[in-house]
Amino acid sequence: MTTLDHPHHPAHGGHEGSYLTPKGGFWATVWDWMTTIDHKKIGMMYLVAILTMFFVGGMAALAVRLELLNPTRLDPVTGHVVGSIFSAADATDTKPGNEIYNRMFTLHGAVMVFMFIIPSIPAALGNFLLPLMLGAKDVAFPRLNLCSWYLYVFGSIFAIIAVVGGGIDTGWTFYTPYSTVTDPDHWRLVYMVLGVFILGFSSIFTGLNFVVTVHKLRCPGMGWFDMPLFVWAIYATAIIQVLATPVLGITLLLLIFERLFHIGIFDPALGGDPVLFQHFFWFYSHPAVYIMILPGMAIINETLAVHARKRIFGYRAVAFSSLAIAGISFLVWGHHMFTSEGELSSAIFSALTFLVAIPTAVKMFNWIATLYKGSITFNTPMLYTLFFLFTFAIGGLTGMPLATLSTDLHLHDSYFVVAHFHYVMMGGTVIALLAGLHHWWPKMTGKMYNERAGIMGCFLVFIGFNMTFFIQFIMGSQGMPRRYASYVDDFHWMHMVSTFGSWVLLAGFLTHLVNFMTSLAVGARAPDNPWGGLTLEWDTDSPPIEHNFHHEPILTHGPYDFDDTVPPRTRPGEWPLAAPLPAGATAHH
Amino acid sequence: MTTTFTMAGLGDALIRLFFRGPSGTEIGGTADGVFMFIFWWSVVLFVGLMGLMFWFMVKYRRRPGRIGPRSVSHNTALELFWTIVPTIFLVFMFFYGFWGYADAIVAPAESLLLDVRGQQWSWMVTYPNGAITGKVMSTPTGGGEAYDPARDNPQAAIKNLGAKSIPLIVVPVNTPVQLRMISSDVIHAFWVPDFRIKFDVMPNRYTNVWFEATEDQIGDHWVFCAEYCGQDHSEMAAVLRVVPMAQYREVVEDKWGPKSLPPVEYGRVLYNSKCFTCHSVNGDKNTGPTWLNLYGNEHEYTDGKKRLADDNHIRESILTPGAAIRLGFPNQMTTFAGSLGEHEISSIIAYMKTLSDKGGPAAAPPAGAPAAAPGGTTGGGQ
Repeated sequence: MTTLDHPHHPAHGGHEGSYLTPKGGFWATVWDWMTTIDHKKIGMMYLVAILTMFFVGGMAALAVRLELLNPTRLDPVTGHVVGSIFSAADATDTKPGNEIYNRMFTLHGAVMVFMFIIPSIPAALGNFLLPLMLGAKDVAFPRLNLCSWYLYVFGSIFAIIAVVGGGIDTGWTFYTPYSTVTDPDHWRLVYMVLGVFILGFSSIFTGLNFVVTVHKLRCPGMGWFDMPLFVWAIYATAIIQVLATPVLGITLLLLIFERLFHIGIFDPALGGDPVLFQHFFWFYSHPAVYIMILPGMAIINETLAVHARKRIFGYRAVAFSSLAIAGISFLVWGHHMFTSEGELSSAIFSALTFLVAIPTAVKMFNWIATLYKGSITFNTPMLYTLFFLFTFAIGGLTGMPLATLSTDLHLHDSYFVVAHFHYVMMGGTVIALLAGLHHWWPKMTGKMYNERAGIMGCFLVFIGFNMTFFIQFIMGSQGMPRRYASYVDDFHWMHMVSTFGSWVLLAGFLTHLVNFMTSLAVGARAPDNPWGGLTLEWDTDSPPIEHNFHHEPILTHGPYDFDDTVPPRTRPGEWPLAAPLPAGATAHH
Repeated sequence: MTTTFTMAGLGDALIRLFFRGPSGTEIGGTADGVFMFIFWWSVVLFVGLMGLMFWFMVKYRRRPGRIGPRSVSHNTALELFWTIVPTIFLVFMFFYGFWGYADAIVAPAESLLLDVRGQQWSWMVTYPNGAITGKVMSTPTGGGEAYDPARDNPQAAIKNLGAKSIPLIVVPVNTPVQLRMISSDVIHAFWVPDFRIKFDVMPNRYTNVWFEATEDQIGDHWVFCAEYCGQDHSEMAAVLRVVPMAQYREVVEDKWGPKSLPPVEYGRVLYNSKCFTCHSVNGDKNTGPTWLNLYGNEHEYTDGKKRLADDNHIRESILTPGAAIRLGFPNQMTTFAGSLGEHEISSIIAYMKTLSDKGGPAAAPPAGAPAAAPGGTTGGGQ
């Protein structure tokens, strides 16, 4: 992966400036960013946008946990409303607490799913890294890429109008017939659903862009099996985005028509079937779960290989398992309806759901095996990678009793499910995002972050996360239903543990925020290749120049050949190679 | 001996931790067995994987100057092994879980049939003798009482549940009880955590759950709504009280009812006022098909299909009669949606069952005898 005739610049590349170099004055720079078609700038704009949404969704989550610390309820003795934040001093029989709580968890779910986690890794890190890793100058359709970002912002504005206008209380799943009858005289739900509809187009455009980019823009010398596994997983994600999102779009339009014109598709009073909505909705939203987790797996492949200095064990098995997960993900939607559909379909969907567990387990085994005889360092990205393996294993294994029919009859719609998907979505995707953010921060910003602060943040997040969510498994199997503003006393101490955990989690995230801000302000200049990585993004400046590479790269080795390759742009001897091959043997490739 | 005791003790402790105690019902016990099997399998896998990970983390931590051995790219035999072995376990889990599920949703034919109605935000149960329990006190068939924690069970922990009063559902012990459920508004779900059963309650069709409580379970059990249904979703609870049969009879027959006719009798009254002009009960052909041996049998329809005349089919025929027309009959009937409520429809079904050879063993029960209530519906979400 040496670039031919590469002028070995230790500092900023000679004739071109970094992509971050301001173009003229303040307003000129703003205009430059707002009209840019540079995938790196669009990636950074996505990063700012999704982290803002993560903050909004996170605040809603903290509010939800605060309510559950001391839930709004009627005091059986005095008959007065007592409880925490949402109750106010209302002594009447009305319970505004429940109403506010329901809007809060809907806000949390909708923002986190549609505005944070789905676009998070693909649109932010994927946009930044995919062309760099392929040795390309940009994505295949740079203008479409900018259009995706504006659609994202436009869709989010619709959703924010709905929230500012009073919020919606349907849950992020918009189940009918509740969603067709709630708040009948308000347009808020229509705004929210329209917002999600628009966000869907943003997702489709990004996916389309990435599929074409991977097919057409690999640099000379890069065959399919020379691609970094990050690219494989993002590619699998993009396929799901393109194929599944249109179904969500159509479903949401039907929901809007149902609400506004009463056409009778989902409403039983008009001859419709409410379960039909669930089928349509999960036909998208289950594959969407893999839109969320595959990019997390994408990051783990890179951080694990680089920081253990080891070839990913079973490259092809890992690459194909991404495609297998993408394929099977389209066939498991019915497992969200084991308590509403017939026996035959439940049996079929249960069996198909077990099928998707196999490629996921294969990835886990390959990652653990990669550590074997590695050279493992414990910096922030690697600690987050190991954190991912720990929490994602729990998330995956707790999916088993949910896929099993007789146990799901009990666990369905309980806190066990809440804990399970937080271990997968947060313990998987968000933790992987944090691993990736620290791993590529030097490349994206040209600044180093403080390692000690990063490690401290990682430990706080680890403790906070497990404290918040592990207890919810037990709460759920003991009988705590999800989406409850109040609960029977037996669950009180467990809710307290969970809420205290959410505060530790907050402290961890704030540590990272301060660390990153400090890094931007006063961080040390980042070397071009601080971790000794071999993929092409490390073979350019930090931060990269506007056109990514000074010369078109030509790939000369695989992404994980740490045994024999001196990492680009590092001093000789900085990264030790493996013992030389015995005479006559050939290297694995 | 000590080893087995320790393992059994550990198993009991885990059941208490996960489920607050053993389920007691046979179905719940099976589900817990599946859960514990998955639990131990997961523990072995998780401890194995994490043990390896931590061992590698310590053993292969980076040390300056150390030159590592060469990477192994893959190992086909090992990879096949760790693909195939978990697959075998997963296949076993699937079947184990499916068998338990099939038992859990198909109620025995001799079950005591209770009609459950979910509505925002309470539960209402109609007993075979017409007695009704629930918070909704203004229904014409009346009766029932609300659950008063102070009087009925001072230990009941509803402090943090916002609800002021919740319905009390009384069921007999050692009797299979089938709940035939329908919703008046949005989707709800009926969950009895202690029995490990749950099913969605739909606005447009019946769904079922059933259970048979044992002596160990005499006492109170929570019922929660598990499908989000709006503002007071979290307060849509009920107390399911398992009592000896004698006490059940005392409460449901003497105290709560019968304040109206039993369903079979009510169904006969409805037939004589609304249905007799077109449907016979003695096998004679009329404008519409006879009700004699109609229920529970398969019949041919004008679209060439055969359909089983079960609860849902009869309900559909009353509410949307044009949906399926019996072969040899005109599409004549108009809908009774609006003029017949759910209680009326279920009463008509109860009456129809007494006219059919497939109406179940308890056809034509003596009025007010709950153990001999009409049964014979097939369960599940169909």
